[in-house]
Amino acid sequence: MSESAPLTIDQPGQAASATPPAPGRSRRLSDRWLAGAFISPALLLLLAMSVFPLLWALYLSFTDYSATRGGPAHFVWFENYTAILTSAQVHLRAFTTLIYVVGAVALQTTLGFTIAYLISRRTHGRGLLTTLFLVPMMLSPVVVGLFWRFMLDAQFGVINSMLGSLGLGQVEWLTQQGTALLSLIVVDTWQWTPFIMLIALAGLTAVPKYLYEAASIDRASEWFRFRTITLPLVWPLLLIAVLFRAIEAFRLFDLVYILTSGGPGVSTETLSFHVYKVAFLGFNTGTASAYGILMVLIVLVLTQLYLRYLNKLKED
Amino acid sequence: MPGRTARLATAAMLVVTTMAACGGGEDDGANASAPKAPATIPELTKDPLTLSFIWFDWPPAHALEDFANAEYTKERSNVTIKVKTVPNANWHDAMFTQFAARKTDFDIPILDSQHIGEAVTNGNILDITDFVKKNIDVKAYNPYLLAAYGQYPQAETGKRDENASLYGLPLLGDTWTMIYRKDLIGDKPPQTWDEMISVAEKCQADNPGVSGLAFHQANGSDAAAVTYNTVNGVYGGNLWDAKSRKIDGVVNDAAGQEAMDVLVNKMKPLTAKGSGNWFIDEVNAAVAQGKACIAFNWIAASGGLLDPKQSTLGTTREQILDKLGFAPLPSQKTNLVPLGGMGMHVSAYSPKANQAEALNFMKWFERADIQKKWAAAGGVPSRTDALESPEFLNAGPFNKVYTDSVSRMRDMWNVPEYARLIDIENTNVNAALNGAKKPKDALDDIAKEQQAVLDSSGRKGGGGL
Repeated sequence: MSESAPLTIDQPGQAASATPPAPGRSRRLSDRWLAGAFISPALLLLLAMSVFPLLWALYLSFTDYSATRGGPAHFVWFENYTAILTSAQVHLRAFTTLIYVVGAVALQTTLGFTIAYLISRRTHGRGLLTTLFLVPMMLSPVVVGLFWRFMLDAQFGVINSMLGSLGLGQVEWLTQQGTALLSLIVVDTWQWTPFIMLIALAGLTAVPKYLYEAASIDRASEWFRFRTITLPLVWPLLLIAVLFRAIEAFRLFDLVYILTSGGPGVSTETLSFHVYKVAFLGFNTGTASAYGILMVLIVLVLTQLYLRYLNKLKED
Repeated sequence: MPGRTARLATAAMLVVTTMAACGGGEDDGANASAPKAPATIPELTKDPLTLSFIWFDWPPAHALEDFANAEYTKERSNVTIKVKTVPNANWHDAMFTQFAARKTDFDIPILDSQHIGEAVTNGNILDITDFVKKNIDVKAYNPYLLAAYGQYPQAETGKRDENASLYGLPLLGDTWTMIYRKDLIGDKPPQTWDEMISVAEKCQADNPGVSGLAFHQANGSDAAAVTYNTVNGVYGGNLWDAKSRKIDGVVNDAAGQEAMDVLVNKMKPLTAKGSGNWFIDEVNAAVAQGKACIAFNWIAASGGLLDPKQSTLGTTREQILDKLGFAPLPSQKTNLVPLGGMGMHVSAYSPKANQAEALNFMKWFERADIQKKWAAAGGVPSRTDALESPEFLNAGPFNKVYTDSVSRMRDMWNVPEYARLIDIENTNVNAALNGAKKPKDALDDIAKEQQAVLDSSGRKGGGGL
């Protein structure tokens, strides 16, 4: 193996453009080999931490395996999937999750965009205001859940104390069916509105100024400028933010766990919280795996439809 | 084509790893029952060793670590005791996810009595029957206490089956105590459940801002379920027929319905607004802040009530005790009280040296002199001599309540499906208490759903929903 030996070339067409190795480099250390060596740790990590668990869960979803009972996993094929899709318990949790996702994302989008719009119109203190608004997003959901739990406490909480000082009655925020889900939506909105705001602000600041200047020359009203310039240009970016938030909201677990434990009864149990119970109370690992796979599939299908809509919007 | 080769190699690797993992799973079935501990304690190591417990985070856990490090190390100076704690709601999951991995970072899991069935069936803890025969004076205990914290299959209420296997020994005894405001309702505690309700009603009416009752209602852990089970027992109901494994028609019979009616329609209106998610800490807070006439809580969690730093009832322990009284639960059709507390067990996955040390610790802990010291340190012992000792009875005003309640205790179901049974009961009782379900519907749903869990225990696929 002399140093002057030519490189092994995978595709003849690339022969003319192939860079010769630096003098002294081992013949084995081709660019392709080096590239492979550099990406292999990340690739192996991805395979071990994401791809393999997903495939393993897929396999378990067709079995009756229980992590605590041990023993061989017997194939039950689609029985887990059938049981989940026909379960009234699951339908109830799916409905709760749907209300939560729609309520939280709609509120966050409206508030986030409004705040971003107001901030974008300021010339001074924009950076400081943006930083302050982003603080809730930086906190751990568990910490957020715990302090909101104290604030929403019917007896000792600051929210009811404030309502009391206004002459209003006590509200059982976390223990009544009508208010518990609303409380979850409010807390999630408090934490994640800044995310929508941030994306919307990026979109708003990217709108070319000459468009507004041209509109001003034409004496276009504020509303007309918003409707025909601002919104259409920011809309695609906002929809991506909505997509991220909807996926996150769909997976909601931590706030439910801390604030309501799914109560009263099971009225705030989301799909993720229910999967947790199936997986770790009864240790029905096979069923829980199928449940998780179905949730991933739902997110994938809805995301695909959404992205197609976004692409169509872009083409138009 | 290297791109194609790489894709094929990746796919092959995934298939191989998946197959390897599948193969590993099949071997797990070999160990499906609890392995036996030796009758005699093996030779103990002289090397430094940390003996780890796992429990939930509450005062007795910290008391145990301090007590064991102070006393056990006098005899075993190379040993350090570590009590790992997790939030109460994660307690079962924290232990059983490690059991599922067949590897534990604890040597002595402290199990609720109802967890024993699940741990034994899965082979997670050692069978210590022979060890107990050789090392423990079983006659020193009330037989039911020994059975409740160690026997499987579950003992009949109040009894012990001497032929059954033992998997644990008592660590901390417990039951509910009634905590009442002597300054508001008088020195004499109510004797019957109906009397207790009417006294609480009058107290609430006479003292604006103070609620008549405070008790566990949360839907986490076993909070709301224990409350219903207690009222169910007092009003003559049963949770199930253990022999026929029948729940539907038993828990929701006439006595069960009456108990649910009493709980939701008579007791709940006497509680503070928004108390539908209260558990141990919230009930204690209400008592300490003078916001409840009568409350129910676990004895082992009541120590903080006498701390002037945490109370508005007085600036000294004596002042607080002038206002607070502790009594056994009132009776009605029966005098049953809930069995609380936990036993200590040995992890089947601990190293042999740690298992030997764990057995030695258990033998040491169950000695008469150590049980009395444990009582003096704030623990609730289980040996009869310790329960009747001045060390225990003088250690806290609620300790006599425990001694008087031992013969009245009733446990829940100790079966592998316990975690799901308790969740069904918790969520439904919590729903009834917070107006999300009608009491009768909630009870019927409990019966139907719990029965389905028991009936589907051998089901292939779709279980757990």
